Amino acid sequence: MHAEQKPIVFEHAHPPPNSVATSGLVYIVMLGLTLMALVIGFANLGPLKIYANLSVAIAQAMVLAFFSMELKNADKLTWLTAAAGVFWTFLLFLFTLTDYLTRGMTAQSAY
Amino acid sequence: MAATNALEPIEGTEGTRRPIVAHHFNNLLQQQASVRFGMWLFLATELLFFGGVICAYTVYRIWFPKDFEAASTALNPLIAGINSFLLLTSSFTCTLAIRAAYEGKQGMLKTWLAATILLGVTFLGFKAFEYYTDYKEGLIPSNKLVYNDPRSHNSQSTTVHQTGNTTEFAHNLEHVLKDKEYYKDGKNLGEVNLDRCRLFFVFYYAMTGLHVLHMVIGIGLFTWQYILASLGFFVPQERYVYVEVLALYWHFVELVWIFLLPLLYMAGHHNFANLGF
Repeated sequence: MHAEQKPIVFEHAHPPPNSVATSGLVYIVMLGLTLMALVIGFANLGPLKIYANLSVAIAQAMVLAFFSMELKNADKLTWLTAAAGVFWTFLLFLFTLTDYLTRGMTAQSAY
Repeated sequence: MAATNALEPIEGTEGTRRPIVAHHFNNLLQQQASVRFGMWLFLATELLFFGGVICAYTVYRIWFPKDFEAASTALNPLIAGINSFLLLTSSFTCTLAIRAAYEGKQGMLKTWLAATILLGVTFLGFKAFEYYTDYKEGLIPSNKLVYNDPRSHNSQSTTVHQTGNTTEFAHNLEHVLKDKEYYKDGKNLGEVNLDRCRLFFVFYYAMTGLHVLHMVIGIGLFTWQYILASLGFFVPQERYVYVEVLALYWHFVELVWIFLLPLLYMAGHHNFANLGF
């Protein structure tokens, strides 16, 4: 009934999921970063506020991606997919912002 | 622990209709790698999906910073903070569910799946309450005008439309911002185009609405997995990968919220004295 098992070509045994201790530690770190984001939100930092907020958000995103989503232990194909998503989002922002934020500029007004 | 040879029958699964490894896969590892790849590929498209809305928000925020700052002040950071902790905790419980499925602990798997569902539903409850308070405060962007409202002739009014034709939204927003003491600390409501703040609220409802939609879908899927767990689908421990990929989706939903919080809620000026529901 079962087909003859073909040799394993490139798949490697995936590491086991995070242990309860690791998940707990990641949770505590994320809690701390969320508190930091809220404190920054209530602080009067002027124009620096958005940069501080986004820095904390990026730190949270990296902890979430590398540890909770287990990107750290993932295979190359997963890395490639995640990197492709980030790269294409970067292109989305780049081309949209260069279009909209330079409207109204002329060669003379740029100087 | 999980067996790696899918050709050997797994104890307790005799008579099940679905084999562990589907016929079109060479082996279990390839199947599991494909399952993960499929979810990561979908998440890459979701990143572009939300990225588009956030990009549009970025353009208008760069163009109208003061209006967006004022409009953000009208939102409720307390509910946003509570929701952040709820979502964070639900991410934690779904990673515990993966571990339980991997170790074959069916009871704990169901417990953590149920906890994730409960936390998600609580998030939606707070969100619904938040939308309701926004509606009660009149913060729904529209072109509806307020005619001959005596308050618009008030000398303290700082709306752009001084008398006569004020949009109801601008009128309501002005009251909310005055309640939140936006004019303190050097802020001047006169510098804000309250009508243009409707643009912020369009983004607010669109972005949080899309996030809510994704949460509803996620909760539905977790409910389905809970039912499957009740039916013994996850008894073969190799099937933990399906819990893992749903958790990947849920972590992505949290990732979106991590960026919505500073962009929508923390853009404004909040103080602890005005915290409340």
